[in-house]
Amino acid sequence: MNFQAVIATLHQFWGTYGCLIAQPYDIEKGAGTKSPHTFLRAIGPEPWRVAYVEPCRRPTDGRYGENPNRVQHYYQYQVLIKPSPDNIQEIYLDSLRALGVQPEDHDIRFVEDNWEDAAVGAWGVGWEVWLDGMEVTQFTYFQQCGGLDCHPVSIEITYGLERLTMYLQGVNSIFDLGWTDEVTYGDVHLQGEIENSTYNFEASDPETLFTLFKLYEQEAGRLLERALVLPAFEQILKCSHTFNLLDARGVISVTERTRYIGRVRSMARQVAQLYLKQREAMGFPLLKGEHGNAA
Amino acid sequence: MATFLLEVGTEELPASFVGEALEQWRSSVPMSLSDRHLTTEAIDYYGTPRRLAVVIAGLPTQQPDQDEEIKGPPAQAAFQNGQPTKAAIGFAQKQGVPLEALEIRPTDKGEFVFVRRTIAGRPVAEILSGLVPQWITGLEGKRFARWGDGELKFSRPIRWLVALLDDQILPVTLHNGSVTLTSDRISQGHRVLHPQPVSIAHAADYDTTLRNAYVEVDPSQRRSQIQHQTTAAAESIQGWAVVSPSLLAEVTNLVEYPTAIVGKFDPEFLTLPPEVVTTEMESHQRYFPVLKSEGSTELLPYFITISNGDPAKSAIIAAGNERVIRARLADGRFFYDADRLVPLATYVDRLESVTFQADLGSVRAKVDRLGKIAGQIATQLHLSETEQTYIQRAALLCKADLVTQMVGEFPELQGVMGQKYALASGEPEAVATAIVEHYLPKGAGDHLPQSLIGQVVGLADRLDTLVSIFSLGMLPTGSSDPFALRRAANAVLNITWTADLALNLHQLLHLVWADVAKTRTVEASLIAALHDFFLQRLRSLLQDDRAIDYDLVNAVLGENDPEYAERALYDLRDVRDRALFLQTLRNNGTLATLYETVNRATRLAAQGTLDTQHLDSNLIRPDLFQQPSEQALYEALVHLAPQTQAAQATRDYQKLVTALAQIAPTVSRFFDGDDSVLVMDSDPDVRQNRLNLLGLLRNHARVLADFGAIVKG
Repeated sequence: MNFQAVIATLHQFWGTYGCLIAQPYDIEKGAGTKSPHTFLRAIGPEPWRVAYVEPCRRPTDGRYGENPNRVQHYYQYQVLIKPSPDNIQEIYLDSLRALGVQPEDHDIRFVEDNWEDAAVGAWGVGWEVWLDGMEVTQFTYFQQCGGLDCHPVSIEITYGLERLTMYLQGVNSIFDLGWTDEVTYGDVHLQGEIENSTYNFEASDPETLFTLFKLYEQEAGRLLERALVLPAFEQILKCSHTFNLLDARGVISVTERTRYIGRVRSMARQVAQLYLKQREAMGFPLLKGEHGNAA
Repeated sequence: MATFLLEVGTEELPASFVGEALEQWRSSVPMSLSDRHLTTEAIDYYGTPRRLAVVIAGLPTQQPDQDEEIKGPPAQAAFQNGQPTKAAIGFAQKQGVPLEALEIRPTDKGEFVFVRRTIAGRPVAEILSGLVPQWITGLEGKRFARWGDGELKFSRPIRWLVALLDDQILPVTLHNGSVTLTSDRISQGHRVLHPQPVSIAHAADYDTTLRNAYVEVDPSQRRSQIQHQTTAAAESIQGWAVVSPSLLAEVTNLVEYPTAIVGKFDPEFLTLPPEVVTTEMESHQRYFPVLKSEGSTELLPYFITISNGDPAKSAIIAAGNERVIRARLADGRFFYDADRLVPLATYVDRLESVTFQADLGSVRAKVDRLGKIAGQIATQLHLSETEQTYIQRAALLCKADLVTQMVGEFPELQGVMGQKYALASGEPEAVATAIVEHYLPKGAGDHLPQSLIGQVVGLADRLDTLVSIFSLGMLPTGSSDPFALRRAANAVLNITWTADLALNLHQLLHLVWADVAKTRTVEASLIAALHDFFLQRLRSLLQDDRAIDYDLVNAVLGENDPEYAERALYDLRDVRDRALFLQTLRNNGTLATLYETVNRATRLAAQGTLDTQHLDSNLIRPDLFQQPSEQALYEALVHLAPQTQAAQATRDYQKLVTALAQIAPTVSRFFDGDDSVLVMDSDPDVRQNRLNLLGLLRNHARVLADFGAIVKG
């Protein structure tokens, strides 16, 4: 099964299950969790079911395309369902069946792995799912988001698309993955890996990045004051990515580092509270439908 | 007699929680039963990743009746002239008994009215229905979570409940938001080997029914199956499996139906450091590594994984795992090669980006500090120039591997990789060894550094942590010791003792403290707190690890006697030796005799003015002697002086004790003999002279210990 077929299969599967199939969010971020489809929607009482592909950037993971398993840009397949259904593990196993992995033929394990992202005041408990010893999925019951208790609790399922497809295709390098039957993942992304690794580690201008961080932060602050939830959230995402770029350059000193994370966290908390207040003022519109996106 | 079964079905529990939960039940379940006067014959606790269960055999079906006695008002107030008063009537009414049922009986405080009542036992089923939810929600653990739309908190979501009293379902309910879990007899078998639900006919059939559904519910059974299968699997490839107890315990709670599977990898990866290969297998994949033979250090290119899958699919599962370990080892190979492209020293400056502690700056800054401390230790120990050079180099490089890719990926390899990379960078062997050794001991009972360079750098690293954190006022409290300061201080003591280092900790702490005080304002009282902290650690190691009686520890550390506390930190070996020696003296009976001699002198000497440090007999004035017993004691003390000095210099306190024992008769003569004297003479000069004699004796004894702190007998 090629890379795009894996995505299509998961879309088909989760769409049929009743998830809204959303599109990637057009701002750089370190994980699918940081898409507003997850980060904001996990907050508050409204039900929600969503699935989407999210491109993720982790500048420090760049290896100039030389490491077969590690890249600074990759894709997650993200599912978020609130409240978490009772039979979610079985549903997940069915999604593996849809991908051609029969759980009966393999050793599938749910191994404790709890998730925490202090920079956005979020944590949850869950597992990494092992398929014959390979971690292919992350499962998390969200407990807090933006410092707010999640109620009801969402379940987040994150498939590592490259890892999973490498398993399905039996290839040992991410760049050898068949995106289609003709074009490889390497054809699409190798040059970008090399160039962006160079950018992340060598060519980015720390002065500019520091300035950008400050500007995004100011902008976020201004927008928070005007209670513009999404625009403020987007500026926070930009702050977070700019911080990651600075981190990759190794120019954030220790004391600054804690302070920067603290600054992002405080904004994330504010935006979470603002979002909740906004939805409340709107009367939590999605509460009307029985299912997440029916309204 | 009835058997009760409770099974709590869950999503996959953390491996460590399964054991912890059963451990909690082992104490809470029997207690809650006996609190309700319920006897049992046997209680079995079962657990897998997907269930926690308890089977209680030999329960009565009915709680036994309990006789209860309720004390009422005093008899005098309850009956007057044989007639019941309001007090008696009210009491009988309140207890719901007729007046005739009241009894009068004597007590320590006079006669009182009593009601004796039999409380009818309730059906056990009814009691259990109430207890079971408490057993479940009473479990505690790390990171409990909510799920769905409820408020229930547990390690992982609870999905089903089985509760049977013999063959009957015992009604138990748990509410979680819109979901109510109700007990049934329906359990779940193994996820893939028995996907159909399992109906349990009778509570006593629990383990066999589940075993037929490919779930071994007994953790000890699973553990021994894993052990046996792993041994056999290793033998099948002429190897010997490394089964660490902690990994075995974890794997036991990761599977319901274990199957050992052998996988192989490219022998080319055996050119990686064995620690890397082993760490990948054990910590990351939970595989058992395979050695050539027992006791060998040579790895074979195989691993053993414990599968939870269908044994018939082992070939597929092995192939999948082989691909994973190949990718991981390739990662390891990549890191190993990439890290060695530049010398280890190159990484030192990158430590700037690793936090040590927010207010203390980076690990780079720590390296500078610990280098300076290592130098101070080297000076104190009069180490050679070569040794000092090695120490400085090792101190500079000891944390460099923290920013290598390998340690970034496998933090547990810190130190180990530093050693390898140091050698690869052409650093001296002594420096490389010190890098790996400076982390030792990693915990109680771990190895200690063997090389002098490793010992000094290890001491310096810990002293920096202790002084730095204390200088911020972040003292450990009760259970909270986030920087593991207790462990660090214990390591300082154990390294110094085992390596027999003439370390003056007192001086060193002051030097290091003074350096910290140059960089920022620190509260002066905190250095005293650090001293106390070390004294506490000394006390604990002497009492707990060396089994020295508490009063003897007091005698060397001084109870409220700063002189002893200070002296303990001047020479850690000396304080240990004196404590051990006192214990020997107590065990062989010598101490009791000494005690009499010394303490009598000490009590009286307290009325004199002689400084406790004074050991020279030159201030005694023989011209004031009135009795030969004084002259005798004086001469004995003159002879004692060189013995005391020798004892102190060589830490051979037997010399001092022998000498003290020898003068005991002279002391007795001084006090009680035919020519004894009255110490408190009316002539102040004579009196002071005699007090000085006793003071000298006391001071010689003080070189060994504060005898006043010793408990007689």
